[in-house]
Amino acid sequence: MSHQLGRVVSEILHQYFGEIVQKVGHDLFIYGSKPIPMIVKTTGLPRKQVVESLRSLVKFDLASFEPSFNEVVADYKLNPDNVLLLIRYPRYLLQIKTKFGSEAEILVEELLQQASCTASVLLVTVAAKYKDDKEKNITLVKLRDIFISIATARYIQQAPVADKSEVPSLEPVATIVPDIDIRQLAQAMATDTLADVNDNIYWKVNFDRFHQDFRDDIMVKAITRRIDENAGELMHLLLQQMYLTSAEWAAESNPTPALDLRDAVHRTDRPDCDRKLLQQYMDHYLRVLEENGAGFVVRVGEAGGGQYVVRGRHAATQLLLAALDHTVTERLGSKAARIFRLIRTKKYIEEDDIQKHAMLPNKECKELTYKLLEEHFISIQPMRKAASSGAMAKAVYLYHIKLHDVAQSLREMCYRALHNTLRRGQHTRAAHARLLDKQRRVRSIVHSMRVRGEPQQHIDDHTRAAHARLLDKQRRVRSIVHSMRVRGEPQQHIDDHTRAAHARLLDKQRRVRSIVHSMRVRGEPQQHIDDVEETLTPPELSTLKDVEARLKQLSAAQLALDKNLFILNWYFMYPH
Amino acid sequence: MGSRGRGRGGGLSFTHEQLQSFGINRGENTATTLAPPPLFPKLEAKPLPLNCDAATDYMVIVKDQFIEYLHESPAYVKPNTRTDGIERYSDKYKQLALDAKRGKVLDCVWGNMPAELRPQANRVRITARKRKLDDANVLSKKLQTLEKKETLDENDETAENKDENTVKKENENEDDEELEDEEEQEYEIDEGTDYANNYFDNGEDYDEEDDNLDDGPVY
Repeated sequence: MSHQLGRVVSEILHQYFGEIVQKVGHDLFIYGSKPIPMIVKTTGLPRKQVVESLRSLVKFDLASFEPSFNEVVADYKLNPDNVLLLIRYPRYLLQIKTKFGSEAEILVEELLQQASCTASVLLVTVAAKYKDDKEKNITLVKLRDIFISIATARYIQQAPVADKSEVPSLEPVATIVPDIDIRQLAQAMATDTLADVNDNIYWKVNFDRFHQDFRDDIMVKAITRRIDENAGELMHLLLQQMYLTSAEWAAESNPTPALDLRDAVHRTDRPDCDRKLLQQYMDHYLRVLEENGAGFVVRVGEAGGGQYVVRGRHAATQLLLAALDHTVTERLGSKAARIFRLIRTKKYIEEDDIQKHAMLPNKECKELTYKLLEEHFISIQPMRKAASSGAMAKAVYLYHIKLHDVAQSLREMCYRALHNTLRRGQHTRAAHARLLDKQRRVRSIVHSMRVRGEPQQHIDDHTRAAHARLLDKQRRVRSIVHSMRVRGEPQQHIDDHTRAAHARLLDKQRRVRSIVHSMRVRGEPQQHIDDVEETLTPPELSTLKDVEARLKQLSAAQLALDKNLFILNWYFMYPH
Repeated sequence: MGSRGRGRGGGLSFTHEQLQSFGINRGENTATTLAPPPLFPKLEAKPLPLNCDAATDYMVIVKDQFIEYLHESPAYVKPNTRTDGIERYSDKYKQLALDAKRGKVLDCVWGNMPAELRPQANRVRITARKRKLDDANVLSKKLQTLEKKETLDENDETAENKDENTVKKENENEDDEELEDEEEQEYEIDEGTDYANNYFDNGEDYDEEDDNLDDGPVY
């Protein structure tokens, strides 16, 4: 519940749901839980808009509610963690696509968009959407099979059920894989009577299951990079055995006998591992994994040919340390990283000893140490000597690393960086609302002309006339940028200005594409399509390319930051 | 003068020896800067490039699609349009575009929402607050009973005239009672402050309790 978290959450809400939901969400974040009249009072928004925002928040599980003291009214509370998950949605889709194929991806995407949905509605809407798509060839039967398989694998689960009161309390229910009557659905789809299908079991995406997958991937990848593919495969099998005997997020799994593991190796069919080699040298691999696998796996007994335990908590700590090392290296340089590692290995160390062991010049070493201290990577512990003569020897200062605190400050850094990237992207959209509006107007004119069936020539004339002014504006912006660059202003400012011009261009590109698409669908002659496409001039296209690259970079940065946050949250999951 | 005898001078809190142990030599102690730190501090090292593989490309595209979907859906709450009093040609189109989106209500599982968030919430509220008198039946009943009473009173009027004296007496009695009530009220108000109470104990009642105890057995 930090200040930085509040800023990120508010920015994400702005990007996904707009200004008003952001206001309501931020208000809830600051005050904890409150009822609607209080939100209306502090935000100054009309009640209707507050209600609408709360609907959006509650629907996507970004806010929860519970009855307040008079039972009829609810108190609302924001779930900041769930808001942060919005950034992770693409990763879920990628995961399900690689595991179950594109049909599963389409199903999960639809479910994410609907937040919660009955199986019949989900299947029918997806099937209807892709009815005309011959390439993908999606049928109801296929969708049903995939739905059942991802439900069995617990990637989706039943949504909690509400009781029938004014402020319902949601009770989680155990997921039962359903029987779906395809004939009934096909009939409903053909006659468009979906409402008659009696289905009141709602489904939602089980994020925790995806997180388990991410964790497994991280651990397997870490072992693969450290040792080799076969060891990675062995780690994968160990994790699978772990799921059979212990809780998913157990700090330490129940011991797995090596014999079980040997059976699993016989059955494995992963293409990227040499099965024969793994079978032959399994004991060696286990030995290497134990000794050189960063302590992910330890041997705890000799029974059954050796018993092995997967240590999730230790793995999280190790990965956190690696992330910290990288952060220190990138922020303060490799010498600071050396000092950081030194303090970590020595646990508690005096300043003079740091200089001796780090083998750095006296002054530089002190500077770096203080810098580390300033950025909260290390802490200081004064030890007072009881009775000694002389003012100097009164206290000893011991440097050490409080891992939990450092992890906290690293998380704050991630939040701040995430906020910055989001803010940067937002800037374009906010600064040029007027231009965007103009663009929309052009579009509506074009559209109405097309409906009235005017000749294509007129349409093009109109678009060109409207665009002439926009082009002029673009030219001016560019000249401003140029003069700024000449005057040597910081890159930051220049970037802002270039992006100012882009919001409009991006929008324009999208519109042109959609118009072209619709024309193609209607089978209009190529000549007209070319005319519309020509409204995007070559310089505009080149700027567009530039901007797209930058926005993509920002999005990629957000995804990378989210990966880091995942490891941090995994670390915080275990009590310390 | 609390600091006397501890440290010299007001500006520095460390002795030279202490400063030297921190790595600060004589003359190196620069004056403190009072300017705020820059809003965009310079990056000391260039950040590492992000890995841009097909998976990242895919995720970026999917993310944009999801955001676009949300923006088109009623989940994206639009602000009320503010007019500055100047009529514009474009107002009509803006209004058209807004109206197309405004009519929609977010498709939720209403059973899982609090009643106040459901679309028919307003109607529910009105029925809950309904006053008894608003109901026509109840109202007419009440009126009827009142009418009956009135007719009864009219019948009694003749009898009342005969018994005027007794009635007067009764009235007088009632008046007296009212007066007494008022007096009592005043008395109670006086009792409100502690000063009005007499807490003085002259000690006469001192032994009374014991006597009472002896009077009879306690069950």
